Amino acid sequence: MDLSVPVLDVVIFVLMGISLMSMVRVIIGPTPEDRLIGLNLVVAQVAGILVVIAVKFDRSIYLDVALVYAILGFIGILAIAKYLRGRQLGE
Amino acid sequence: MTELILILLILLGILALQFKDLLNAVICLAVFSLLSSLLFYYLHAPDVAIAEAAVGAGVATVLFVVIIGKTRRREE
Repeated sequence: MDLSVPVLDVVIFVLMGISLMSMVRVIIGPTPEDRLIGLNLVVAQVAGILVVIAVKFDRSIYLDVALVYAILGFIGILAIAKYLRGRQLGE
Repeated sequence: MTELILILLILLGILALQFKDLLNAVICLAVFSLLSSLLFYYLHAPDVAIAEAAVGAGVATVLFVVIIGKTRRREE
């Protein structure tokens, strides 16, 4: 399978543009809840970018980074969401 | 791509410094560590990117939020 590299570059730049638009909400969002939603979007889109770059470089070790980030980013978002509801992570 | 990520890193670092609500600063630091992990990844260092993702997204964010819960949220 010879997936041409310019297609993957276009996909990476489109995903980067989408995550930039989500980062606008992180920067200008008035409340912490808005910024948390923006963080959630940016984490999901950057995990997609990591997978596409792994396909572009053609190395399977690069997929592990996306896996670790998809698991651990969720824990951080969960901690902030539970704090906004008035509880700590262990309660 | 590398220059774009570096400019965003500087912007998010300055932004995290000037917030009075510390929860906003924690969220900005989470995006900061996400982007620096992407930068390491793009520069062909996936092991450093794994360490940065594990520490930045998992441990540091949870630690900051727990400490904000035990102290004050707003900075005077």
